[in-house]
Amino acid sequence: MATANMTNSTLRLVFNEGVDAISGKEVFKTKSFSNVKTVATADQLYAISILLEPLQQRSLFKIERNDSSELRQA
Amino acid sequence: MAKKLELKFENQDGKVVTYTLDNPVEPVDAIAVQTAMDEIITQNAFTSSGGDLVAKKSARIVERNVLDIELV
Repeated sequence: MATANMTNSTLRLVFNEGVDAISGKEVFKTKSFSNVKTVATADQLYAISILLEPLQQRSLFKIERNDSSELRQA
Repeated sequence: MAKKLELKFENQDGKVVTYTLDNPVEPVDAIAVQTAMDEIITQNAFTSSGGDLVAKKSARIVERNVLDIELV
C-alpha cells in the first residue's frame, strides 16, 4: 500500500477575457492563489472565490483547485 | 494603464501579505472589498510563510504607468 500526502494546494480563478479577434477562440486569464491550506475545503475556497469575482471586471469562467501530493510506501 | 486591486493582510508574524486582482471594478465598492477580505480571514483557507492571515491591513488600487524612452 502507498499513501498520498497532500503537500501543496493552489486556487485558480479562470476568467473569461473575451474572444480573440483573429483566431475566434475564447481567451481566458487565470489568477492563482498559492499558499492554500491543504486542509481547506471546497466550500471555503468557493465562498472566497465568489466574493472576489465582483471586485474585478471579467466574468468568472470556472474555479479550479490544484493539489500536489507526495506518494509514499505506507 | 494597467490597474490592480491590492488586498493587504497581516499574518501571525505581523508581516503584510498582499493579494492582487487585475482589472478592478471602478468606482470601487468599498463594502464588497471589505466583505471579501473578511471572508478570506473568516474562512482561514489561505496561509503564508508567516502563518495564518489574522487581520485586514489595507486595500488600494494601484495604477502603473509606463513611458517608453526612445534610445538613439
